[in-house]
Formats: sequence, C-alpha cells, structure tokens
Amino acid sequence: MSGWTGRFEAELVRLGVQPGRARQLTDETAQQAAECSAEPDHLFGPAHLYARHLLSELKTPSLPLEQTTGPVRLRLAGVGKRYRRRTVFDHVDLTVRSGEVAAIVGANGCGKSTLLRICAGLTRPSHGTVQRVRRVGFVPQDAGTAGWLTADEHFTLFGAAAGMAPRRARSTGEHLASRLAWRPGGEQLTQHLSGGTRQKLNLVLGELHSPDLLLLDEPYQGFDQGTYLDFWQQVRAWRDAGRAIVVVTHLLHDLQHVDQVFDLGARA
Amino acid sequence: MLHGFLDLCLLALLRERPDYGYGLAQRLATAGVADVPGGTLYPALLRLEQQGLASPSWGPSESGPRRKYYAITDIGRAELDAQVAGWQRFRDGVDLLVAAGVAR
Repeated sequence: MSGWTGRFEAELVRLGVQPGRARQLTDETAQQAAECSAEPDHLFGPAHLYARHLLSELKTPSLPLEQTTGPVRLRLAGVGKRYRRRTVFDHVDLTVRSGEVAAIVGANGCGKSTLLRICAGLTRPSHGTVQRVRRVGFVPQDAGTAGWLTADEHFTLFGAAAGMAPRRARSTGEHLASRLAWRPGGEQLTQHLSGGTRQKLNLVLGELHSPDLLLLDEPYQGFDQGTYLDFWQQVRAWRDAGRAIVVVTHLLHDLQHVDQVFDLGARA
Repeated sequence: MLHGFLDLCLLALLRERPDYGYGLAQRLATAGVADVPGGTLYPALLRLEQQGLASPSWGPSESGPRRKYYAITDIGRAELDAQVAGWQRFRDGVDLLVAAGVAR
C-alpha cells in the first residue's frame, strides 16, 4: 500500500466508514487507478479530499431530475465573525435543506458554538448573510433550563412562548420525552435531575413547537450509551419527517449519521 | 452540468454492453458527451453498484491488471427508462425556453 491509499483509507475511517468497508473501497480505488495505468493522486487528487468526495457521491441519489432534496431551511453565505481584531472564522457558506442533517465539526475554540448561535440568530455575524425559516429550535450546550421549575412547568412555559395551550404543551413534552426513554416525574425540580436528564429536557424544549430547523450544540452531554443511540434514532426520525438539523459535534464517529460535514477547523 | 446526467449515460452504455471504467470513459468521450475524469466516473459506478443498478464481475485484460466489468441489472433497466423519460421532459422544456425568445 502506497502512502496515498493509506491516507485514503485512514480518512474514510475518520469520516465514520466501517473499517471493513473502508478497506474494500480502498482496494477498489487502487484497482481503478491501476486499470487506468495512473497513480491514484494523479487520477483522483489528494487522498483526504477524494475520500470525502467519494462518500458524498455515494449518497447522492441517481435521479437528478426528480426533486430529491427538500426546500432550503438555512443558508449562510460568506458569513464571518470577528471579535475586536481577532477573526474567529470567515467565508462560511452552508446550505441545509429539509430532510438533511449537517454536522459542524472542528477543534475546540474554532467557533462551532458561535457559528450555531449565528444560525439561530442569537449572535450577529460580522459579515455575510443568514437566511433561515421562521420556526427554529435551538438546543444550547449549557442547558437553558431553570433549576427551580419542574419539567412540566418548562413544557408549559416554553409552549406558551410558541403559542401552545398549557395542556397541549405538557402532553407534547411528555410524549417527546418518552421517545428519549424518559418519563418526567411530577414534582421533581430540574435542579435535582441528572445532567443527562436535564439535557433530555433541553432537547424536548428545543423540539416542543415542532420547528422546521433544529440547531443542536453537542446535545448528548451526559447521555449513557443507550440514550445516545436513542438520540441518533430521534435525529433520523426528524430527518425523515422533513426537518433540517444542524448538530455541533466533536465525536467523529457521529458522522456516519449525517448527510454533510462542515469542518470549521480545517479552514482556519 | 453533466453531473446529473452521468448515471443516465452510464446506464445507457451498459445496456448496450457490459464494460469497465476506462472503457466507459472512452465511449463517453467518443460520443462527444464529455471527458469524464476518474474522480467523477468511478464514484458514479460504485453508486450504481451500491444501488443495484449495475452488477460487477472481474474480467481479465490482455495486458496489465484485471478489470472490473459492470453489467446493467433489471432494476437498472427500469431506472434507465424512468431517467430517459425525465431527461426527455427536461430536454423538451429547455428547447421550449430556448426557442421562446427567437425572432420569427
């Protein structure tokens, strides 16, 4: 195996491809280069870029004339953020459509959470434009919950903000909680919930008003393995229901669940 | 522009006869459709295989390494028919648009 195929295979694995499948794709790719009597880097370009290209190509449906992707829910064009003289990021273009999951990845401090807040309209970009649908659900990393309220009171309060009647907000909240294997207990105050359960509450609140665009910032902090899997199953259900989802994550093995990856750190 | 129609072209070529990647690239170029780079062609072939539209088999070559030949499947034929219908609608639409502004 030359350096190129080694790097190609490593990048596939890093992007969440199962090792066996990555090996198979690598062998095929080496074979294809041999068939053309060409060096792989000459035929396909840099290994890591071709790995990404191949994965996104394999996901592209083959019927270009049918509308296979939904309407745009979020579009960032030329978005940048500066604090005083420090440029956090620049020239971000990102389009997320209905039925699509996008992941924002990158090292700590590269501005992932800031970018998500810009998507949500909570932080103003220094330049560029942001277009989004009206109904947005935002789940911040530091829980936006109040310790002295119960889960039901949260449902009522957040539901009221979205114009939902109290009873409907509560039943919706309880229904959504059950999908994350959580049954909110009557009088228990939020400050007495475990970190993982508070995070579930946070997720339910973000989804309560059935937004068209969901923005999640590392939403699985404190989840155990089972809940973590429930969470990604829930993401798939949202996607199948035509929602657009943006997830900030640092867990690269999450990327097998997403349709597009935006690597904020690789651009700095 | 070609991107969306590459699958259609490949399926049509494979319906004519099974072929391997490099051979398909040459036939596309000869037909005057496009010079398709390897980085575009091979992912498309893998995708056809993954979707069950083309089935692979390994064949020898007179010189050099063995080749992966692709043959169209029954689903591939049905998909091709559907895509041809879509393509014709698209082409007629463009023809109409292009003709609309022409002075009579």
